Amino acid sequence: MSGPTPGLTQPPVPVLEHVDVVRNERVAEGVGLLVLEAPRIAARVSPGQFIHLRISTDTQRLLRRPFSVHRVHRGRLEILYQVLGPGTRELSMKMPGQRMDAIGPLGQGWRIPDDVDHALLVAGGLGAAPLGALAEALADRGVAATVALGAPTAERLLARDVFDRFARRIELATDDGSLGHHGFVTQLVEGLIADDEPDVVYVCGPEVMARIVCTQAADAGLPCQVSLERLMACGVGACLSCVVSTTTGLKRACHDGPVFDAEEVLWDAAEVPPRH
Amino acid sequence: MSVDLRVRLGSLELRNPVMTASGTFASGREYSPFVDLSRLGAVVTKGVSLEPWPGNASPRIAETPSGMLNSIGLQNPGLDAFIDRDLAWLSTQDVPVIVNVSGQSADEYARIVERLDAQDVVDALELNISCPNVDAGGMAFGTECATAADVTRRCRERTRKPLIVKLSPNVTDIAGIARAVEDAGADAVSLINTLLGMSIDVATFRPRLARVVGGLSGPAIKPIALRMVWQVASAVRVPVIGMGGIAEPSDAVEFLLAGASAVAVGTANFVDPTTTTRVIDGLTEFCDSHGVGRVCELTGALRA
Repeated sequence: MSGPTPGLTQPPVPVLEHVDVVRNERVAEGVGLLVLEAPRIAARVSPGQFIHLRISTDTQRLLRRPFSVHRVHRGRLEILYQVLGPGTRELSMKMPGQRMDAIGPLGQGWRIPDDVDHALLVAGGLGAAPLGALAEALADRGVAATVALGAPTAERLLARDVFDRFARRIELATDDGSLGHHGFVTQLVEGLIADDEPDVVYVCGPEVMARIVCTQAADAGLPCQVSLERLMACGVGACLSCVVSTTTGLKRACHDGPVFDAEEVLWDAAEVPPRH
Repeated sequence: MSVDLRVRLGSLELRNPVMTASGTFASGREYSPFVDLSRLGAVVTKGVSLEPWPGNASPRIAETPSGMLNSIGLQNPGLDAFIDRDLAWLSTQDVPVIVNVSGQSADEYARIVERLDAQDVVDALELNISCPNVDAGGMAFGTECATAADVTRRCRERTRKPLIVKLSPNVTDIAGIARAVEDAGADAVSLINTLLGMSIDVATFRPRLARVVGGLSGPAIKPIALRMVWQVASAVRVPVIGMGGIAEPSDAVEFLLAGASAVAVGTANFVDPTTTTRVIDGLTEFCDSHGVGRVCELTGALRA
């Protein structure tokens, strides 16, 4: 991404930008890839940050939806999204040329410490979206990346093209065994830590899975960053809807996250609903 | 023609009638990339309590048709941190500051008001006697004339700054509550706060909010808010600040016509962070195209 160096703690000021749909295509069952013309956001976004997209101008469905930025190319943002509810269903029907507006870039993205040679990226389902952006940034920085990518089926393994291009090694896992390891991506982690000896772990995916990976990283004595998803209203840090419990109090996923240090997260027993 | 947008709320003169609704705008800092705060009539800050309040368990919000439910639970860092951080920052900004106050007891409200009275940056106080999200406070005060008046009176004794009382709509007779707080010394009333509501996820059979019940806001509540502003404005002499679902300039005009002297924009900030300034500009346009020289002429101009 052409944004500032990952690792800075003060992201550039977000903007509200009108964004036009360049492309909107199905990439897997219930999963779309949306390409938006968004030069102002594209110029300042870092891996791990997100945009807050206004999908509907009809007040029936009021709130914006947050989406991680997957890739940036020539003033365009690529977003991967899953159709889960009425908002994303409407999003899946957007055609090239249609206009929406987005606030972004928002949040704290992935941090790449200076002394890192090798990173392990663990992606579950749509977690591949922000990790794809990270893989590219790591490659730019000369950091080797091992990627563990999991999904329910082979078709739902996302961003393989990005990982193929920028990662040194990719291991796949599918729940149904249609490709790669037959089982959960978490079952690959310990072996990859032992084989590749990463200095840091980055994880994004369903919270149940992410929590396990954070524990695996901690057990191996490795620093770990996790991107968390929460329901959002304002998306800019004002309303306190999106709080995450941490060892230093409640933090805002939109403003203090979505990337958190794994060791500060107090994992909730309550389920986090994925959609409105 | 040039339109005069100034309004008066008791001793408080504002450059225009548009302010932010408490809880939707923090103290303004997060919105400063999108809104020139120096254009706003006032910033009304998130409710502050004496000690830090952690708020409710998540999920705290649910989207509903043309609106949303929230059960944030008045999370705030407490008065000391609010003064040190939020008021310090607001002192660097060119916008009137109305501090919203929450409490679990009448005494707590009074203690907060007493301390805020000494803060120069504070232009007015808004007593949140109406938040429905906390078990042991807020809601209880605003549902009865006696308790609403009692909180108001105790706070009145602690400050000469303009005192606004924010009314709960979850009552049978909001005009009665309004009269009670007016008699107890309120300089103005603001309404409405959120309406109690609920949403259920049929996939899981569970409430969408961890606290089950939350406060409804957004365009869906505008008709109720308008009705209540009209009823209250007819019942009291003090200025009325109207809010509830304002998203467009014409919404603001409706509230003014119903009797409001000023309006607040809340949930719409989430949808479009420029709503406040759009409404301000739209009020100028509306007045200009209707030959109205001063926006305050719209207050109560409803022909019913």
